[in-house]
Amino acid sequence: MSASLVLIIVVATAYLATHLLYEWLAKRLLIVSGAEYLVLGILLGPQVTGVIPVEAAESFGPIIVLGTGWIGLTVGMQFYLPRLVRITGLTFRLAVIESLITLGAVTLVLWWAFPALGLTSQFWAIVPALALGAIAVASTPAGLDIALRDRKRREPVVNQLETSLGVNAFVAIVTTGILFAWVHRAPTSALRPPTPTEWAVITVGVGVLGGALFHLFLGEERKVDRLVVSLGGAVILASGTAAYLNVSPVLATLVIGIVLVNTSRGRNELRTVLAAAERPFYYVLLLLAGLSWKPSTSSTIVAVILLYVVVRTLSKVYATRASTIWNKATPQLGRDWGKALIGQGRLTVALALDYARRPELPIGDVVFTAALASVLLTEFAAARLVRAALLPIVEPLRDLAQRLPWIDAEEEDAASTASTVPAASVSGTFQVPDAEGASTLLSPDAEVTPSLGGIALGRRNLPRDAHPGSTRQRTEEASPTPPVQDATPLHGPVHGQQDSSPPSNTKPDEER
Amino acid sequence: MRRVIVLVLLYLLMQAVLPLGEGTPAALVLMAFGFLILGAYSVGELATTIRLPKIVGYLAAGLAVGPAALNFVSVPVMDQLAPVSELAIALIAFLAGAELQLEEVRNRGVVLLKMMTAELSVSFIGIVVVLASLHNFLPFLQGAPFTEVMGFSILFASVAVVHSPAVTMALLSESGAKGVVARTTLGVVLLADVAVVLSFSGALALARVLAPPEGDGGVGALVVLWEIGGAILVGAVLGGVVALYLRFISRELFIFAILVAFFGAEIAGLMHVEVLLTLLVAGFVAENAGGGGGEQLRHAMERAGAPIFVVFFALAGAKIKPDAVIQLWPLVIPIVIVRAAGIWAGTQIGAWWAKAEPAAAKYTWMGLISQAGVAIGLASVVASVYPERGEELRNLFLAMIAINETLGPILFKISLLRSGEATSDSFRGSGH
Repeated sequence: MSASLVLIIVVATAYLATHLLYEWLAKRLLIVSGAEYLVLGILLGPQVTGVIPVEAAESFGPIIVLGTGWIGLTVGMQFYLPRLVRITGLTFRLAVIESLITLGAVTLVLWWAFPALGLTSQFWAIVPALALGAIAVASTPAGLDIALRDRKRREPVVNQLETSLGVNAFVAIVTTGILFAWVHRAPTSALRPPTPTEWAVITVGVGVLGGALFHLFLGEERKVDRLVVSLGGAVILASGTAAYLNVSPVLATLVIGIVLVNTSRGRNELRTVLAAAERPFYYVLLLLAGLSWKPSTSSTIVAVILLYVVVRTLSKVYATRASTIWNKATPQLGRDWGKALIGQGRLTVALALDYARRPELPIGDVVFTAALASVLLTEFAAARLVRAALLPIVEPLRDLAQRLPWIDAEEEDAASTASTVPAASVSGTFQVPDAEGASTLLSPDAEVTPSLGGIALGRRNLPRDAHPGSTRQRTEEASPTPPVQDATPLHGPVHGQQDSSPPSNTKPDEER
Repeated sequence: MRRVIVLVLLYLLMQAVLPLGEGTPAALVLMAFGFLILGAYSVGELATTIRLPKIVGYLAAGLAVGPAALNFVSVPVMDQLAPVSELAIALIAFLAGAELQLEEVRNRGVVLLKMMTAELSVSFIGIVVVLASLHNFLPFLQGAPFTEVMGFSILFASVAVVHSPAVTMALLSESGAKGVVARTTLGVVLLADVAVVLSFSGALALARVLAPPEGDGGVGALVVLWEIGGAILVGAVLGGVVALYLRFISRELFIFAILVAFFGAEIAGLMHVEVLLTLLVAGFVAENAGGGGGEQLRHAMERAGAPIFVVFFALAGAKIKPDAVIQLWPLVIPIVIVRAAGIWAGTQIGAWWAKAEPAAAKYTWMGLISQAGVAIGLASVVASVYPERGEELRNLFLAMIAINETLGPILFKISLLRSGEATSDSFRGSGH
């Protein structure tokens, strides 16, 4: 049986199975699906069973490049400037501090460890150390998406997490992009090899050109068919060009994403197209990552993995805690919101693959193995980690829900009258005092629910007979306008604005 | 103007990037793929401004960036992009099969069969006669014995009569035409495809007897039988599975469409059955047993396949060798004329025989001139069976296909416009 056929069968079967099980797993067990593809890839690959031989695995190179580029694009699409400018300085400050501390801590420790473990020379150790430092910054948004599902909430801690996820991704991609420009192999055919700065500019230039081509090509058309061709063409061209120039395809497509989301009038259609392909691309990428995996010949790999995971986890948890306390934001955010950033996923895989596919860079197999190990160890639990991080900060809501059992009854009443009366006038608002005595305007259907302010509990944690989806369903029924299903992390109101904001599912996200 | 700027930017990008890069072949292939999508699509749109079908623009773009001109898409890159062409052919075959409604086959099957039989027979005989008469223009047939000349003439004609489901589907999709000329042309093209697959296998077997290839054994009748019968069997099973999916799951059709085409092509290759026929049957079964979900799948497939079709036609254009066309013109021009005349005469006879509608009798032949991927595929098979004489034979095929694939879409467009089944606006407004 040909390798391509095996891959198609595996992807199709696994995708269908996951697709059918995904909602169930997410709702009942809060499990993020994905890492199993990685294991499957490793099992089918040349290192274990050899069902898919080395040559066949290498022939999937274009798909890997395209997959990494696609992930860069989805990250870039989150950076919609009108939304970003509404986020407070404090939120950004905390996110940037956490990112830089994680980057610095992991880089420094591994820079010391690699030569100490005999993996590389002191001179070269900075390259893999910085790469793993950048990869360590990335966190998966899947946990937050599953924990919140399609309910975008107004709690400061959720806004903080969404902002941090975006900043983390940005820092990780830009750092690896600069790293690849810095250690770029000089082309033999060029009259004068470009400098690292020029390579970095070229990387960004490829992205800008891709975005410009997209717009010129698309023109005034809004048809989805044309959008698919235009988007596909621009991303494929930019990813391929970046890979051909040996610079970072993820950074190039990140730039395309930023250009598109800030200049395209059809950004919602774009998101729809991207969302349709995002999960399959990720699964294929995971599978191919598993196939591409080469076990490190060094026995010290376990030490590297341990160092990476431990230092990263400590940085995420304690850097956030320290910076939150330092900035006196504990009452709004709690101390442990950094736990929600521990999970690693698609971006980690993309960046690690991008590094490992460059033969000129040292110990690619070690970097790749450590990153994959981290994904395997943390992605399954990402949603649970998010829940663990957020529960303390929404505890007052749990208390309120338990003290006021008539809330559900009122919601049902609201649902029954929603067809004639606007939701806001039916439900009114509650003044919930926060820890500092300030009040937060909360609509009962948005906040006081058995799902703890939108954070899924899992069936066994629900206070009464509520199904995790049932309250949401009632909320949607009660609302006169359809809910917005937007999974982009960097959005929503900001601290200080939430008091006057309407419920998150009452306006298109562009207007928020 | 916008499209010209896109093309200029793409040209500058390639000029700047190619000397700077030393990336992997995978990266080069991906870059060429993206370049072809945007570049060929833009040229296709430019073609509509001078009233040519988009497909002619795709072919022209391929010719311009291929080895014959700019060489942005070199021969190794084209080889690497071969899976894209295979996927495109699979998608086209599935879509073509899905276009055939059981009801229509019942109602018009006899008419289509009679027209196809007459058209194929007349053009086949005409091409055999003209090639046998002019065989001295082909260096490897100069002074060859009569049996060998006849063997090659029959083999050549069995490929030369083939049409292009891809071009037909592309133009029907572009124009949205659904009238009697459009349906008859599509029906004849699809039926002819099946017939050509059958006759080609037979002709190849006969040629191997009359002109034995260098160091190769023959092909048994059982093998031919399996290629055809197995394709129908495998296609029916695949179509049945797709129909079940459409009835009971019917989700993620965009991805599913691509997977079906990939899977069909791979499984057909693995089981040594005819790929086109397999996907054709699968499409037919899925459409007619899918409980109404077939239309959704077709739309998803058209959407997913749009960039793939563009690249497929651009690659077909890149394979054109202008120098080969020029060298062989004394032979190619008569063959092209005789083929066109044979198609015209055959459809007239077939329409009279089947008592077809006047519009079908008058215009169908114009939609049957096109040749593209299937013909190139069959030509490659011939070249692989006769490796020593294959290169000249392949050039002859490519020269003929180059003319037909350029003229064919133009003629088909004219036929749809004159029959009133499409308008200039419907061609211009299409997204494909």
